[in-house]
Parts: sequence; C-alpha cells; structure tokens
Amino acid sequence: MYNYIFLISILLITYYMVIVKRLPALVGGFRLQSLFLFLTTVSFAFELKEAALYIVAILIFVLKVILIPNFLAGITKKIQVNENLGLLLNPQLSILVALILTYLSYLFTFNVMPFTDKMQSVTFALTLCVILIGLFIMIFRLKAITQIIGLLVMENGLFLLAVTMCRGMPFLVEISIFLDVFISVIILGIFVYRINTLFTHIDVNKLTNLRG
Amino acid sequence: MANIFNLHVGFLRDGLSLFFVSTILLISLPSATYSLGYLKGHYSKGKIIYNWVLFVLFIISMLLVVTVNNALVFLICWESMSLISYFLVIFDEKSEKSISAGTVYVVMTHIGTAFIIAAFLILYNHAGSFDFNVLRINADTLSAGARNLVFLFLLIGFGTKAGIVPLHIWLPLAHPQAPSHISSLMSGVMIKTAIYGIIRFVICILGVSSLWWGNLILVLAAISCIVGVICALMEHDLKKLLAYHSVENIGIILLGLGVSMIFLKLNLPVLAVFSLAAGLYHLINHAIFKGLLFLCAGSVYKATGTRDIEKLGGLIKKMPYTSAAFLVGAVAISALPPLNGFVSEWLTFQAFFQGALSTTAGMKVFLSLSAAALALTSGLAAACFVKAFGVTFLAMPRSAKAREAVEVSFSMKVSMCFLGILTFVFGLGCVIIFKNLVVVSKNVLGLETLNVNFSLNNFILITANNSTVSLPAVALVLVLCVIATAILLFVLAGARKARQYDTWDCGYYNLGARNEYSATAFSKPFRVAFSFFLLPYRKTEKIRESFYHVKTFKYETFTTPIFRKYIYAPLLGGIFGLARFMRRLQPGSIHLYISYIFITIIALIVFMKKF
Repeated sequence: MYNYIFLISILLITYYMVIVKRLPALVGGFRLQSLFLFLTTVSFAFELKEAALYIVAILIFVLKVILIPNFLAGITKKIQVNENLGLLLNPQLSILVALILTYLSYLFTFNVMPFTDKMQSVTFALTLCVILIGLFIMIFRLKAITQIIGLLVMENGLFLLAVTMCRGMPFLVEISIFLDVFISVIILGIFVYRINTLFTHIDVNKLTNLRG
Repeated sequence: MANIFNLHVGFLRDGLSLFFVSTILLISLPSATYSLGYLKGHYSKGKIIYNWVLFVLFIISMLLVVTVNNALVFLICWESMSLISYFLVIFDEKSEKSISAGTVYVVMTHIGTAFIIAAFLILYNHAGSFDFNVLRINADTLSAGARNLVFLFLLIGFGTKAGIVPLHIWLPLAHPQAPSHISSLMSGVMIKTAIYGIIRFVICILGVSSLWWGNLILVLAAISCIVGVICALMEHDLKKLLAYHSVENIGIILLGLGVSMIFLKLNLPVLAVFSLAAGLYHLINHAIFKGLLFLCAGSVYKATGTRDIEKLGGLIKKMPYTSAAFLVGAVAISALPPLNGFVSEWLTFQAFFQGALSTTAGMKVFLSLSAAALALTSGLAAACFVKAFGVTFLAMPRSAKAREAVEVSFSMKVSMCFLGILTFVFGLGCVIIFKNLVVVSKNVLGLETLNVNFSLNNFILITANNSTVSLPAVALVLVLCVIATAILLFVLAGARKARQYDTWDCGYYNLGARNEYSATAFSKPFRVAFSFFLLPYRKTEKIRESFYHVKTFKYETFTTPIFRKYIYAPLLGGIFGLARFMRRLQPGSIHLYISYIFITIIALIVFMKKF
C-alpha cells in the first residue's frame, strides 16, 4: 500500500520539478524524488524479501540523495551564475505539457502493453511519464546543469521501471549503473564548470559555434 | 546464408583466363624494367620501395581477378585492384591534381563496383552459391526480367572500369596522373579486366539471351570509339590524349564483343567465334601499343618535365630511340600495316562485312553503320597521331625544356624496344596468334569445334562455309612498293653528301619556333567539323594603347566538356543541394537534438497501435 503513496509522491515531485524556476529548487526536487525512490525500493525489498534490493536502496540513498545533489548544489554555488533556470516554456505551459505527457503514457500503457493487473499498468504509465518528463526538462531548460538533472530524472524513471516491473535488475548491473551515473555526473559537472570559466555562461543554446 | 563463407576457391585454367594472364604478364614485364630508370632521380628511395610494393600487389590482384572461380573472391580481388590502383594514381600525393583525379577515380570505380555487387547478389540469390559453375548451371532458370537486370548492372559496373562513354569520365583524369609505367599498366591491362568481366559473366555465365544485349553493346562501343577519338584530337596533354585513345580502343574491342553476341543470338556460330577472336586480338594489341605509347610519353615527360605537346617539338634529334618507339606505337594504333593494330581492326571489319552479308535487312544496315563508325574512328586516330608525333617530335623545340632534352636511360629504352618489337611480332605473326585466339574464342562461346575452322594463309581468311575473304593484295603490294622506294631513295641519296642548312623559309627570314604549326592549329578543322559535339568557344582579350595600336592580344579557344557539363555537373549539384538541405537538421543546438529524440518517442507512443 505504501508503494502507491510513494509512487504518487514521485509523480507529484516530478511535476514540481517542471514548474520550479530556480536551480537550487530543481536540485532540491531531485533530492526529494530520489528520497522517495529510496523509500519505494525499501518497501519493495521488504515485500519481496530480497537482500540485494536493500543494498541497492542504500546505494540510492548515499549516491542520489546525498552525494550527487550536494555536488550539484556545490557547483551551482561555485560558478555563481544567475540562479534562474532560463525557461524556454513558462511554468503554466510546462505543467500543461507534463499533464499531456502523463495522459499519453497512460494511453500507451492501456492500449499497447499487455498488462492484466490494473495496478501494474498504472505503475508502468507513471514510470514512463517520469522518463518523458526528464527528457522534457532536458529540452526546455537552458542551463547546462538542467541537462544533467534531466538525465538523472530519466535515470530515476528507468530505475523505478526496473524495480517495479522486474524486481530490479541483476545486482552486478545495478552496481555498475550506479557507478556510471555517479561518474558521468562528476564529469558533466566538471564540464559545466569549464564551460562557465571559458564562456562566462552555461546557456546551452548559445553554444553553437562548433557546428559544421 | 550459412554457406556464404564456405568457399571452395580454385583457379580457372581455361583459355580465357590463360589469355588474360599472358596479356598481363606480357605488359608488366617491360613496365617493371622501365620503372627502374623512370623512378631514379625522380623520387626518394622510400618512395621507390613503396612503388614496388604497390606494383607487385597490383599485378597479383589483376592476376587473381582473371583466374579465381568464385564470385565473392572475384569481388574481393576486384576491389583490392581498384584500391591499389587508386594509391598508384595518387602516387604524387603532393600535387593537387593527383588527389582530385584520384577522388574522381575512386568514386567512379566504387559506383561501378556497387552495380557489380548488385548483379552478383541477384545471381547468388538465385543459385545459392558464388561458385562460377553453380552460377552457370542455375543461370538458365533465371527469369527474363532478372536476366536483363543482371546484364545491365554488369554492363554499367564493368563499363565504368572499362571506360565506356559516358562512364569514361575518370579515365582521362586518372591515367595521366599515375607514374608512366603505371599508366601503361592501367591503360594497357587494368581496364581490360573489365572486358574479362563482361566476357566471363555475361557470355560464359549468364549466357546471351536477347538480341538487344549485343545491339546495346555495339551502340555504346561505336559511341565510345568516336567520342574517344574526337576528344583525343582536342587534347594537347600527351598522356591525356593517350587516355582518350584508350576509351576509343575499348570501344573497338567492344565492337568485336558486341557483334559476336549478336551473331551468337542470330545463330551464326562461325562468325560469332570469329568476331570474338577479333575483339580479343585487338585487346592484346591495344595492351601492347598503348603500353608502348605510355612508356614513350613517360620518357618525354622525364626528359622535358612537361606533357603539354605545345611546349615540345624537335625531340627526334635529341631522343632518337624514344621517337622511333613512339612512331612505331603511333603507326600501330593508327592501324597501318604491317603492325599489329592493322590486323585486329581489319579482322573486326571483316566480321562486320561478313555479318552484313549473312544477315537480313535491318541488321545489314546496322552492321554497316557500325563498320562506318569504326572506319571514321581509325581515320581520326591516324590524324590524331600525326598531330601527336608531328608536334612532339618534329620541327623546332618550342620551349627551353624541349631544347635541353636528353635521351633516357638504358632500362627505359630496352622496355620500349621490347614492346616495339612485339607490335611487329603480333602484326606479322598474326596467322599463328589468330589460330590460338580462335581456340580461346570457341572455348568461351562453348560451340562445337568441328565445324568451325579458320585459317589465315597469305592474308586469305578461309571460313568453314568456304567463303573467302582476302586482304586486298594490292595493299600489300603498295606497302612493299613504298618500302622498296624508300630503300631505293636511301641508296641513291646516300651517295650524295648531306648539307646542313636552315629550313627554306619562302623569303621570310628568321623563322622561329613561334612560326610552327601548333597542335591547336592542326586540330582546328576537326574542331569545326565536330562543333555540334565539341561546342567550341573562344575568349579574346585586347589591351590597346590607342585605337590603332593594340599592345597585347590574347586569344584562347576552348571546347565544352559535354559529359561533365550536362551529365555529371547537374548530378553533383543535385547531391550537394540535397546535402545542404539536410544540413539544416543540424543547427548546433543541443536542445533541438534532444527534441528530435523526444518527438520520435512521442510519435512512437502515439502511433504504436498502428504498427
């Protein structure tokens, strides 16, 4: 039962991330989303009685709730750019798009996926929606850091899909994905820092000098 | 698909393969000795070793192309031959021209290879194997449409390599850029492997199934002949001129091949064997004299550093051996008796005349017209070589470089001499050689050997149906008369003492190199006569001091490269336009790139039900 509360909370937090206007708020949203992801994983681990899932949950907590958000917040502070996200689409329209995406994933799930269990299909629609909104954040926000966060949101959605649909991926795969995500965030963060020192901004839409 | 790699590769030992192997070896031998002298002093030591590695690989790949009995292996060898020759074309990689010529070559040859691959895949799909024998057995049950498609693909694919008009565009660019011994190999032998491909795959494996195949080849061949020789007449770069003559001669070879296919379909086996043998004879003859001419052109280039014949002249006094060798080659390519070019062109003519006698109405006219095209070609070729030899070797030098030319080294002279002797051997020994070629030809066409018999005795051709064709004995007598007169004159004049003096100048004084007949002037009548094809235009530029006093006057004349302008330029323009249009997809915005993915996903989600 708790699962569904956690899942709905993840969806609501994702909506929140769509309408925020400042960078720290977005990072905070991600921290909160990861926290609920952690809770979902723990409750699934409890339900399925799998030791591996507990370890994965702890990893989520350490990496996605503490380390990555701290690192991102640190970088935001360090480069001292304008806290505004640079919205290509205002919050009202954004939330509208997010709602449409939710509806689309719902339609997709019920029309195409062969689920018999109703709750399972709702879960699937929800995770798909989180992935799509991650992609949406990547596209319609200007700052380079938002691209990293969008990617992380997508990754959260994928992880959620794996946990809820297939009781998690094999342990080794899980661990390696965590490592990948962590390292890629660090590398991307360093890139953002370098871009800022080089161009004195991190607006991605201005970085078009290299095209052929 | 599993047995695709289950290859049973063996080597063919039939007449056709042996014929091509001997042609390749015959030309590569003098080419190798020639390169000893040619490369020395021109290139660094590392470059010479690089050349030898490529040279050996090139010959090995050509030998493999004409001997393997598996279509897949054939393709691999064919492709390596193309690539190695590409590296040989860009051997002077510092020159901008080489690189661009190499690019045109490699693009054209790969377009050709693509068509060959398509044809092979159709055959493979039907037969389930790449083995030649299996392909041949299964080709009989191929549907008519597929058969025609395979034939067209093979013709385009091999035609690109052979240089059939309008696919010849790479030939005059690539051949001159390679070092001369390589040019002689490429022009003499490599483009012949394409003829091998057509014979092997169209005649041997696919089997001639429609009359229009032969007609198409014949028409293309006649066009190649005439276009090649007209372009050669307009060309003043010695090696480019020779390259255009390769287009022409490939046309003559294909005339023999095409008419043979027609006879095969019209059920005239004797004539089919005869004309294929004539084509093959011209093939080896062209290899010999074109190899010789390219080596001579290389010697001229080595001695003077230029290939522009307008800057040459008077070389006969400085380079007597090269001049003699070039003259022999020129006589052979102009099809004058008693050298080898004459024999094979004469045989091709005979094939046409015999064909016109044994066929009915429409075909009679068609064959006669083809023969007329061949006649026009040989006439123009002779004119072209009068120009090439006259302007390059006779009269006074037109530039300082030509004045300071010296004869080339021993190894180069030996190679030219070897090929020069071969032109005589293949001209005078035609009786024996033709007999052997008839055997090859019979083998290729798979006809019963008993009722097909030829003999060439005293230049009288006897065919099985007892009709005889004789070389006009008068011509032979005339040749002998000319030789006798020459000897007589030499004996009479030799007694007199020669007096060295300037050329008689008609009362003018101080006639210099600028007063000479130039190559442009020589080719002017042809430029006018063929203006409908060449579309000549001129540019004049006058700088006047006053109305009455023109200080300088510049006059240039050009011909329009008709195929490049009207076929290749629009094609390339279209491709580049499309590419520019597609580039708008990539404006450099990361957001846009991600949204491409996003839109794709959304579209998939929305339309998933439909799939």
